[in-house]
Amino acid sequence: MTSFEAAVSAEDLTKRYGTGDAQVTALDAVTVAFGRGELTAIMGPSGSGKSTLMHCLAGLDTPTSGRVWLHGARHGSADRVELSGLRDDALTALRRDRMGFVFQAFNLLPTLTAWENITLPLDLAGRKPDLGFADTVVDAVGLRDRLHHRPSQLSGGQQQRVACARALVSRPDVVFADEPTGALDSRAGAEVLGFLRRSVDELGQTVVMVTHDPVAAGYADRVLFLADGAIVDELRDPSADRVLDRVRGLESAARGRAGVGAGA
Amino acid sequence: MLRAMLRDLRAHLGRVAMTLAAIVLGVGFVVATWVVSDSAAATVRGGGQRTDVSALVQLERRAADPRRPGIAPEVVTRLAALPGVSRVEGVRSGYAALVGADGKLGTTYWPGTAGTDWDGSQRFELTAGRGPQRAGEVALEYQAAAEAGISVGGRARILLTEGRDDTATVVGLFAYHPSGREFDPAVAYDGDTAARLLRSQDDDPAAVPGFDRVEVSGAAEDALVAAVRGQLGADYEVRSGGELREELARSADSDADVIRKALLTFAAVALMAGVFVIANTFTMLVTQRTRQFALLRAVGARRAQVRRAVLAEAVVLGVVGATVGVALGVGLGLLGMRVLPIVGTVRYAVSPWAILLGYAVGIVVTVVAAYGSARRAARVSPMAALRTDAAVPRRSLVLRTVLGVVAVAGGVAMIALTRAAELDEPARIQAMAGAVLAWVGVLLMAPVLVAGVLRPLARVLGARGGPVTRIALRNAVRDPRRTAATASALMIGLSLVCAFATVGQTLTASLTDEIRTAVPPDAVVVRAAAFGQLDDAARATAAAVPGVGALAVPRLGGAELLPASGKGVEVQFTALDPAALGTALRPRVTAGGSDLRGGVLLDEQRAAEAGLKVGDEVRLRFGAADAAGGSTGAEVRARVAGLHRSSELLRGVVLDQALLPAGVDSYNDSMYVLGGDPGALRAGVERVFAARPDVVVLDREELLDELLAPFQLVLGLVYVLLGAAVVIAVFGVVNTLALSVLERTRELGVFRALGASRPLVRRTVRRESVVISLYGGLLGIGVGVLLGGVMQYVILANPVFDMSVPWSTAGVALAGMALVGVLAALWPARRAARADILAAIATE
Ligand SMILES: Nc1ncnc2c1ncn2[C@@H]1O[C@H](COP(=O)(O)OP(=O)(O)O)[C@@H](O)[C@H]1O
Ligand SMILES: [Mg+2]
Repeated sequence: MTSFEAAVSAEDLTKRYGTGDAQVTALDAVTVAFGRGELTAIMGPSGSGKSTLMHCLAGLDTPTSGRVWLHGARHGSADRVELSGLRDDALTALRRDRMGFVFQAFNLLPTLTAWENITLPLDLAGRKPDLGFADTVVDAVGLRDRLHHRPSQLSGGQQQRVACARALVSRPDVVFADEPTGALDSRAGAEVLGFLRRSVDELGQTVVMVTHDPVAAGYADRVLFLADGAIVDELRDPSADRVLDRVRGLESAARGRAGVGAGA
Repeated sequence: MLRAMLRDLRAHLGRVAMTLAAIVLGVGFVVATWVVSDSAAATVRGGGQRTDVSALVQLERRAADPRRPGIAPEVVTRLAALPGVSRVEGVRSGYAALVGADGKLGTTYWPGTAGTDWDGSQRFELTAGRGPQRAGEVALEYQAAAEAGISVGGRARILLTEGRDDTATVVGLFAYHPSGREFDPAVAYDGDTAARLLRSQDDDPAAVPGFDRVEVSGAAEDALVAAVRGQLGADYEVRSGGELREELARSADSDADVIRKALLTFAAVALMAGVFVIANTFTMLVTQRTRQFALLRAVGARRAQVRRAVLAEAVVLGVVGATVGVALGVGLGLLGMRVLPIVGTVRYAVSPWAILLGYAVGIVVTVVAAYGSARRAARVSPMAALRTDAAVPRRSLVLRTVLGVVAVAGGVAMIALTRAAELDEPARIQAMAGAVLAWVGVLLMAPVLVAGVLRPLARVLGARGGPVTRIALRNAVRDPRRTAATASALMIGLSLVCAFATVGQTLTASLTDEIRTAVPPDAVVVRAAAFGQLDDAARATAAAVPGVGALAVPRLGGAELLPASGKGVEVQFTALDPAALGTALRPRVTAGGSDLRGGVLLDEQRAAEAGLKVGDEVRLRFGAADAAGGSTGAEVRARVAGLHRSSELLRGVVLDQALLPAGVDSYNDSMYVLGGDPGALRAGVERVFAARPDVVVLDREELLDELLAPFQLVLGLVYVLLGAAVVIAVFGVVNTLALSVLERTRELGVFRALGASRPLVRRTVRRESVVISLYGGLLGIGVGVLLGGVMQYVILANPVFDMSVPWSTAGVALAGMALVGVLAALWPARRAARADILAAIATE
């Protein structure tokens, strides 16, 4: 590993929902950086704030306080954008041009073919796709013979691979994936994860992936553990077994805390 | 169960509101129609009915010599002496026309050109000032006064017979209430002045005419009528007040019925558009609640229960919509009564029928529209509750398409078959029925047309265009049935607009062609105002204008064409000076020559029917009116010099005026003058007729405008009435879009997350809306023009495809549809752009 260079970073990121008694702190002063050219996994129990963190990083949600930066790779360190304070149009353009997304499900527009879905962000920006690169991506996800199919004619795994190809084709600064394998069987999930891994290894892509599956986290370079809106642990070059151990440890700690809470 | 559904309905209030709007408009239009016709009848019956006439005396028809002296004043004196008579009023009537500010009479029938004598009876209802009492004073019918721009205190110029005219001070304005069928007067003088000034055009200028009719009032009506009959001979016709009132009421009712039927036709069209909108909305509402129905089924609801629940929902909507619709309709109807030109006090009538009908229509239409959805909702499998992509089962389009094709083919065949034989009444009805059948067929085929026409278009354009066009087009063809229903609603109103526009355009074009062919561009047209006729003095004046080269004075009338054998046929004739034919008036000769000195010109159609050719001899029998109204039947023999196509100005048999036997009934309302410099000629003609308010001077295009004006008026009215159907259809577009946007929350969220800006999302929805609207527009225009082609075929017996396409109307309609698309998308597009990204991409 050479020196750590951040692609996305956040400082004191806090997100609260509701007011008064009903208030929930989904993120509690999170300070974090995601390395360029790395696949970072965010793990944690359900309700720990994984999705909220990702949404705030991607500018899909506005944090209650704290700051988020997107560090451009192409134009050096001067190309640093702070997301907080940007208006909707600017955020939209940023997502379109510099971020890629893979959601758990409902990723694709049903009326567009696989190819049209893949090139949609470029289309929206009015850019011509780099056909050579698009070909590489399409071949990498193994969709060449499915390009003119509609999403309804594709399996769940194929749909997720189309989503991955779409996330990569505009060469974004960062790809956000929220439980990309959550709705897939283990074989299709492995294909998608393998593809994300290769995009990091072969294309130098930065990927931030939310997952609750230790096996998925095993593909990452680095795993962050989230609990009650805070980062509680971190693991470099994990294996699935090591991740599982940590999760178990954290869960028992959480149970202990919950038990103390209940007793008090 | 029902409660669950009703709660559900409340939760969907926004979506339901648009359905309600469609019901409300449809019902409102029907109820307004009923209220207007009821009120119109009530106004004529009640407000206009007189209670002060017990008996009306008129001269029997056969005693009514055109040069009659009228009822002598002595008769009035005799009737006044009868026991039980409280009042006798002799009523005078004669020609008296109000001259407008431009020094000419109007060119419309209404207000009339009659004058009468003022009296204190209920004939007159003062709306301003007082009745005339002495020479130099006059009262005017209030609307005639308004049209001429004269008010109380002003001076009115009144044209009388024999070119006399009178100027008097206006002392009052009145509304008139007739006692029976009579010409409503525009002018009323005091009795002595009326006796001095008022003459009928047939009256002997020297003699003082008698009364036109005598009104008798008294207590015991039957006894009075008997006494009056006893007093007068068989030359007099006596009718009781009861008879008169009944007659007026009957005619008011039948007038109201005509209005009602015409308006209800348009209301039915609006309702039809409403059915499409409501049915489509229900289908979408049901589709969106698939899982809910499945859940109901899973927990044990029977199919019939689900079906009943959806129908109950429809009934509730129908009742609510009808209630608002009835209120709206009553309001609109009463408002409409204010707009109608009704004399005197307007009576408003809202019959229970109007309200009942409103509810019946609202509920029945809604239930009929919802029935299909209800059945489909009931067929949702309980398993659907478990799937995320569950859909309501669809009827296949096969049956509908087959029916559509059969209807279109049957309709076309029905029309085609009428072309073999002569186009008589049954053939016309058959052709029209065929057109309506084919029209319904197109409605049935609409979903297949979307799939067959719009889909390939979407494929081609979508592959080329940017993401906005691509997604908009794909969304538009996503559910052909939905798009078709939305477009069909638009098509209904629009196709009828275009059909009428086509008929109007065709009639206009053929009339324009006729007039432009017959009248040279430089001709000056001298025309009688107020639907009168030209007199000898006017004809002599025109002939004496300096610089007149040719003068055509066509006299039109009816005759009988007698072929060598067989029965004679009724024909129209046009008689004029042979020298003027081909110069001041030009016939459209299709065979032979046009020199009337060599014989007559025969209408080519009549000639074909009677088997006559150029050179044949024809006999014409003219019915001259004698004193008894019979016919002397003078016969004229002539050779056929040529054949021509009959037109508005040169009708039927065209012959030398010298051939016309003396005393033949004919009328002459226009002259055509040609010669020298057209500007100087017109100035000269205008100068000589400056003092003749009853004669107007026009050029060819002005004549055309005058002849076309009634068409334009009717067409304008038809467009306004069809507007209701179009407005309802617009609600349908809004509804479809709004519900579609709701359905697509998730994909809109993804779209936004991937970088579609809010304006781009709005543009996408707007473009989809424009595509749907334009599709409906094009379909409507296309079908409408064809329908118009059949209509003009039925009316004019022209070939079907000889219609004139109303390009300007079609252009305006298409632009209007594009605008409708943009406007209808306003709200749905805003909703779509506001879609919450996080809520959309969140997984439950
Ligand atoms: N829109 C919201 N309104 C209120 N609470 C929310 C909302 N979204 C998330 N939360 C709460 O914030 C916390 C973190 O949620 P989330 O980020 O979705 O967790 P995860 O993705 O780790 O399961 C949870 O307690 C959740 O209930
Ligand atoms: Mg989550």
